[in-house]
Amino acid sequence: MAIIEVENLTKKYPLPDNKSESFFAVDGISLSIEAGEIYGILGPNGAGKTTTLEMLEGLTDIDGGTATIDGIDVNNEPYKVKEIIGVQLQANEYFDSLSLLELLTLFGALYSREIDADDLLGKVNLLDKAKAKPANLSGGQKQRFSIACALVNNPKVLFLDEPTTGLDPQAKRNLWDLVIDLNNAGMTIVLTTHNMEEAETLCQRIAIMDHGKIIAEDTPQNLILQHAAEPPKAPLHGNIEDVFLTLTGHGLRD
Amino acid sequence: MPTKLQIHLARVFLKIFLRDRQSIFFSLFFPIIFMTVFAFVNSGQQNAINIGIVNNSSSDTSVEFVQLLIDDPLFSVTIGEEERLRGELVEGDQTMVLVLPDSFSAQSDGTELRLLVDAAQVRQLDLIMPVLQQTLISIEREFRNIEPMFVLAMEDVQARSQRYLDFLLPGLMAFTLMQLAIAGSGFNIVEFRRKGILKRLFVTPIQPRDFISAIVMARMAIVLIQLTVLIAFAVFMLDVRIIGNFASFYLMIILGTFIFLCLGFCLGSIAKTQQAVMAVGNIIIFPQIFLSGVFYPIESMPELIQPIARVLPLSFISTAMREIANNGASLMSIAPTLLGIAVWFVISFVLATRLFVWKEVAN
Repeated sequence: MAIIEVENLTKKYPLPDNKSESFFAVDGISLSIEAGEIYGILGPNGAGKTTTLEMLEGLTDIDGGTATIDGIDVNNEPYKVKEIIGVQLQANEYFDSLSLLELLTLFGALYSREIDADDLLGKVNLLDKAKAKPANLSGGQKQRFSIACALVNNPKVLFLDEPTTGLDPQAKRNLWDLVIDLNNAGMTIVLTTHNMEEAETLCQRIAIMDHGKIIAEDTPQNLILQHAAEPPKAPLHGNIEDVFLTLTGHGLRD
Repeated sequence: MPTKLQIHLARVFLKIFLRDRQSIFFSLFFPIIFMTVFAFVNSGQQNAINIGIVNNSSSDTSVEFVQLLIDDPLFSVTIGEEERLRGELVEGDQTMVLVLPDSFSAQSDGTELRLLVDAAQVRQLDLIMPVLQQTLISIEREFRNIEPMFVLAMEDVQARSQRYLDFLLPGLMAFTLMQLAIAGSGFNIVEFRRKGILKRLFVTPIQPRDFISAIVMARMAIVLIQLTVLIAFAVFMLDVRIIGNFASFYLMIILGTFIFLCLGFCLGSIAKTQQAVMAVGNIIIFPQIFLSGVFYPIESMPELIQPIARVLPLSFISTAMREIANNGASLMSIAPTLLGIAVWFVISFVLATRLFVWKEVAN
């Protein structure tokens, strides 16, 4: 059963160097994301990935088409949608002077919920940082904390915008495990990424965007079968990341 | 009535503001330094006029005359040769030099006393001359045993002396609350936006009115705490007097803070970057420092500027606070000023609600 239905979604922006002309940041895309799947949106910078997510999250006005999440129209009832989604944005700064515990309690209050902050911090492996300030977290810890904040309302759909960009391989693998755990518990997850391995490992289905359009959509296996170039005659075993991880170990460095 | 969420949020913002020790320190530090400096500068007596006397007469009368001048607290007398005193006059050590001729005696009529002055140095000569004339007349009366025809009995209807510091305090408090309020809403919003915090808040179900009321409540609490500390310091340490009703005084503080918080929200909505908010903020703040009668009365400004100066929001606030603090004015007696405050209250509130579009401010 589809939990997110997108029909002909369009976003126009004025051209940066000629304000009277406009271009389509998102050009009439249609999506159907199943409940309980991890859905990945791939594409080069400027392809329209973040704009698509921001329209679904209510951050950006929808210029054309419709989007519903769990049957609720995003454009007509944004506040109902906000109640059932969790969002992790690319920028993940918070009020500097509040501790993680205080921030989570604050986010709980924004949803008018009493939350078990310790439980949430435990879920993202940050229990020992409860009293720390966000500025003192490493990149991976910050991303995990962002996800904890996105989980305070126990959302049906979790949006992750480039969750592993800038993380070291250990932190990245750790975050993948977290995403898989959440998905196993039944959460639908929509993520954007530039990391092909991430898309291949995590996502049950992938959409590839370019110039505001979806140019391919399928399971990773089918996409490889249909579009991948012929493999080289004598393939190398593994890749540099395997080498890196074998040499430096899987232990988290945070 | 504030909702549970608004109160929770207000407490969070209060916590955030209170943990910003540096800005709290500086917002208290400068007004305290300022008031302290003025308290000491103005605490001294009026400076005595330095007067040099050249006595060319040998009569008893002249000695007596000089003694009377020495006894007068208005003058600080130096007796000496004309040559030397002329030099001191040119140097600026003497304000004037009085030369008594050798014919100086009680019997003579119309004795000419020569007064040497350096007109270029003594700008307040017009003020000093009548004082000197008056002194000469009273000395003359004493010599000739004439009772003055008229005696001026001065009666202070204010029944108290006002120091500059008493005048300054309400204006300085109005100015401080403007600074704190504009920074508290405008500058903070731009900072929150720059960090992407507003965007993050936007994707939660928080309503913009919850966000704004929470900031208003938290900032109001901070302003009231800080001003109370400053006023307590002024009253208890510097002996500044507040004559009027404290409740009215604080009502003006609350209204003023609200107006400037609203203007701050307008500022934060228009200016998208930290640099822009500083620039636009200074456009709002700077003219008001000089034009709103904070440090000196609006009446002392050029006639042309006065009408503009009077309608600035800070003018109304500082005038109201000063009338209450210095003259013990009742709210009824400052009704026109209160009307001005009410008008600004409505203008700033309407502007803020129009300009603060949650989605645009957050993005």
